[in-house]
Amino acid sequence: MATVFAAYAWLVPALPLAAFALLTAFGRSLRTTGAWVAILASLGSLALALLIAGERLAGAEDYSQSFNWLAFGTATLSVGIDVTNLTSLMMVVVTVVGFLVNVYSYGYMRDDERMTVFYAYVSLFLASMLGLVLADNLLMLYIFWELVGVCSFLLIGFWYHKPEARDAAKKAFIVTRVGDLGLLIAVLLLFWYMPGHALDFTSIGNVFGNDGGAISAGITTLIALLIFLGAVGKSGQFPLHVWLPDAMEGPTPISALIHAATMVAAGVFLVARTFVIFEASPAAMATVAAIGAFTAIFAATIALAQNDIKRVLAYSTVSQLGYMMLGLGVGSVVAGMFHLFTHAFFKALLFLAAGSVIHAVHTQDIREMGGLGSRMKTTAWTFGIGALALAGIPPLAGFWSKDAILAAALERNPLLFVVGAVTAFLTALYMSRLFYMVFAGKPKDDSHAHAHESPAVMTAPLVVLAALSVIAGFVETPWYGWFGEWLTGEAAHHAGYLAMIVATAAGLLGLYLGWLIWQKGTIDRKALAARMPGLVRVLERKYYIDEFYDLVFVRSLRRLGYVLRAIDGLVVDGAVRLVAVTAQAVGRLNTRMQSGQLQGYLLAAVFSVVILVLAVAGRRLW
Amino acid sequence: MLEAIPVLSLITWIPLAGALLMILLPTRNARALRWVAGLFTAVPLVLAIWLYAEYKPAIGGRPYEEAYTWLTVPLSRAGAEGIASLELAFDYLMGVDGLSLPLTLLTGIVSMMALLASVHIRKRWKTFYVLFLLLQTGMYGVFLTRDVVWFFIFFELTLIPAFFLIGIWGLEGREKAANRFLVYNGVGSALMLLAFLMLVATAGFTATPGAGGDALRFSGSYDVLLANLSGSGSQSMLASDPIFQLSDGMRWAAFVLLVIAFGIKLPMFPFHTWMLRVHAEAPPSIVMVHAGVLLKMGAYGLIRFAAQLFPAELREAADVLAVLGVVGILYGAVLAFVQKEFRLLLAYSSVSHMGIVLLGVASLNDVGLTGAVFQAVSHGLIAALLFLIVGSLYERTGTTRIDELGGLAKSVPFMSGILLTAGLANLGLPGLSGFVGEFLSFLGLFESMKVLTVFGVLGVLLSAAYMLRGVMSITFGPQSPRYDGIKEARFVEALPMVALVALIVLLGVYPSLLTGPMQPSFDPLVEAFKSGVGG
Repeated sequence: MATVFAAYAWLVPALPLAAFALLTAFGRSLRTTGAWVAILASLGSLALALLIAGERLAGAEDYSQSFNWLAFGTATLSVGIDVTNLTSLMMVVVTVVGFLVNVYSYGYMRDDERMTVFYAYVSLFLASMLGLVLADNLLMLYIFWELVGVCSFLLIGFWYHKPEARDAAKKAFIVTRVGDLGLLIAVLLLFWYMPGHALDFTSIGNVFGNDGGAISAGITTLIALLIFLGAVGKSGQFPLHVWLPDAMEGPTPISALIHAATMVAAGVFLVARTFVIFEASPAAMATVAAIGAFTAIFAATIALAQNDIKRVLAYSTVSQLGYMMLGLGVGSVVAGMFHLFTHAFFKALLFLAAGSVIHAVHTQDIREMGGLGSRMKTTAWTFGIGALALAGIPPLAGFWSKDAILAAALERNPLLFVVGAVTAFLTALYMSRLFYMVFAGKPKDDSHAHAHESPAVMTAPLVVLAALSVIAGFVETPWYGWFGEWLTGEAAHHAGYLAMIVATAAGLLGLYLGWLIWQKGTIDRKALAARMPGLVRVLERKYYIDEFYDLVFVRSLRRLGYVLRAIDGLVVDGAVRLVAVTAQAVGRLNTRMQSGQLQGYLLAAVFSVVILVLAVAGRRLW
Repeated sequence: MLEAIPVLSLITWIPLAGALLMILLPTRNARALRWVAGLFTAVPLVLAIWLYAEYKPAIGGRPYEEAYTWLTVPLSRAGAEGIASLELAFDYLMGVDGLSLPLTLLTGIVSMMALLASVHIRKRWKTFYVLFLLLQTGMYGVFLTRDVVWFFIFFELTLIPAFFLIGIWGLEGREKAANRFLVYNGVGSALMLLAFLMLVATAGFTATPGAGGDALRFSGSYDVLLANLSGSGSQSMLASDPIFQLSDGMRWAAFVLLVIAFGIKLPMFPFHTWMLRVHAEAPPSIVMVHAGVLLKMGAYGLIRFAAQLFPAELREAADVLAVLGVVGILYGAVLAFVQKEFRLLLAYSSVSHMGIVLLGVASLNDVGLTGAVFQAVSHGLIAALLFLIVGSLYERTGTTRIDELGGLAKSVPFMSGILLTAGLANLGLPGLSGFVGEFLSFLGLFESMKVLTVFGVLGVLLSAAYMLRGVMSITFGPQSPRYDGIKEARFVEALPMVALVALIVLLGVYPSLLTGPMQPSFDPLVEAFKSGVGG
């Protein structure tokens, strides 16, 4: 089939970008009109993304387009778009969630006077995210990578007057930038090592796809690890996960869109996009798998002890992103991307449902909630579906994708499989805790007794996402590997029923235990917590990692700054002053000895400075 | 018809004409003075834009050169065989190439914006505008002349108005700052003069064979210096005479003198301390010009003289320059992180960003050199924008101390948005111009010095830390009630802000606009680095 719509793929990011420009230019005078502009733009993108995906399902060829961005004598940097199955899949995910979140926000943000600003930022985010997805080379991807980061920063700090929001925004920007440095250095390495300075993914595929290509194994591993460092930052993997839970200070629709479904998954997408480099380096693959597995179980334990509804979900996101990385690390792009695909729907659903709850009760502390199920039926039902999908209960979407990852892990390394299965158990446990504490039982607070369901503009997206959370998994089952074939062109392989049975059992066990503790009360959770106060405390404090970073990095940087400030004032400035004074003295001496010799004065000044430079030059690095 | 117009001279001298005209105007009429100053700032800007659009030597366009003999001094030639005449010539040479063109345009843009920002000047308007116009003539001249003697004159011409502009219209510590400025720049100028004298006296000669022997002529023309230093100069027998050759030691001496002279201006670590006080004490509109253009004369001088005339020496010293650049990047960034005064934060940020220029120069390839010039122009625009906002905020709050401000996004959302954009541009966000300069400089240096580049890249992280700390402390968080009533930017303030943001975005999205004319000018230089032969 011919490529018709793919030629207009640039419009997919361009529409939200135009909305951003319009909203920024006309600002606050627009109000609800501004919201409509943003919603319509994202609808347009969604429609086009679906048309392109449809065309690709019918077997259209890959489409790409590129222009020179910067030309030198030695090389050219270009910008361009690449429409492939992978990128069109991501486009659909981003536009579906983006459109639904835009609709939802119309209800959620209605009372905020800066609603237009909100929609402007969201539109800019969508444009950047879609640009990232479509980018045909690593430099352009990096550019949009930073832009989605800055949109995330702006939206976390949207309620700028709250000091917590300000600090969280700053933290998100700086922590993810640590990872971004890795990606930047990887770009520098690729530029100088790739034949012809090519940075486009096709060339990268060609060079690294051939074993024993032009680039040595050491450099390949280095490049892969540096790219992965970027992914670790963006996707909240250990040890750079600390920004993501704090990012929950942003408005809840943002948590759903950016910090659950799309941007944080960009790290996974990046690894999938440059997967050929990782495949060329076993060490890098092992690292990805290990970091992914560790992050999955590590974040799941923290999620058990958090009391903020959004933070529980945030740690859950970190954990699930770890799953995706695990899938990639054991060599299955299909499994990783499949989980990204299903997770986008059910995690966005969970966040939006949580937003609906917060909208009704005006608190995020689950200890103050309870009994909301009867008053917020749609929210409770859809949240329940999302929770079951996340817990990996068949036949919901999360079950199939988690199974694919566990099966791939089992094939590669039984230890990774065990970690994954334990995480599945923990996931089910914290989700049942969350569900029962919020929706079951009796209201803790009288004011919550009057909580009521959110308006239809908010519940409708929940229903759509709930439906997707149910059906999205059927595209790839052990008996029907259509998704994998479409994505990679190879039939996916499965390890049989062991992974499936273990995963389901772990999920059901977690749910049952959760029911016993938080619903039925057979197990007294207070007594349980009292028996291991140390563990609970460590989990509540998130393993003290924030405190550790603050001590090691932030404070030492500040201390270094104070030391340097003293040096700058006394030594550097002082030395230059001393040179001047000495030169003056020598000059005077010279003038006295040979009157009229102005050169002597100058030469002395020059001489002193030359000595200074030679002293610096003497300590050359190489 | 158009061909005959001496565009370069017009750009350079129109501001001076404006200054002279202004002396004749009555002092009382502030409005008229402002309009005249505006007119005489706008015309060179328009001409510079036109020049930028028309300059296409690659496809056979007009090269834009002006050459006149200004005056010649006959020298004694007693006892010299085979020399018909000997003279010291002062030529008036103007010219433009891919290196000076972007900086000329930058001068025009920043001057115009700074002029608009001068609405905050409250006293002695007439003197202010006269000095401001004089400063412009100096800046344009520095970039457009092609003779070291004239370069020196124009360079000095910027110092004197800047000294008075800082000393008269600055804040509390203005006089000390102005003195600091003059002393350091004076030392720099002295070193530069010494290097120039060495050059003119040796490599500045041209020999024309004639009846009674060669006619020898000494001048400061860039082309003559370049040709002689690279050994492709005069074909006369005399050219091989050791008198006209710089010994290796003298070449190094001249090179080091030039690096230090322009390193002070840039400023290069450890010669940066003088400009901190200027940033903190000078009136904001003058800091716009200072950080926006005057510092870039250091970058220009480094490339024009240290690199173009002494490529072999630069190749040897590239490691040292790169180390100084990286030290400057990190040192400036860490110090910016602990500043409590926003202006000082920006001053250290300038130190850090000029370190990146040094990296681009030290890379010795076209990518890095493009990066260095791009960074110079981009930082000029960003620094101008930041100090434009600093000036407008100071007018309203009476302070720019970080700990005394906060939550201004509530009262002045527009200015806060612009400040945030400028901050993001300064920390190198892609899509804005700051990223391109940084990226190209790092990319260039990475070819030869990988480990060092990685250290430099760490500066990107630190710049995010200090810039966000500064900007967010001012605009985010709860607002102090004492700032409740402050007013949003007036039209005359908003106009340059929007214009600068538009330029920063334009260059970030479409950098070829700036890099296009640069390429042909760098090709011979890169060739020279590769071959290691001077010139």
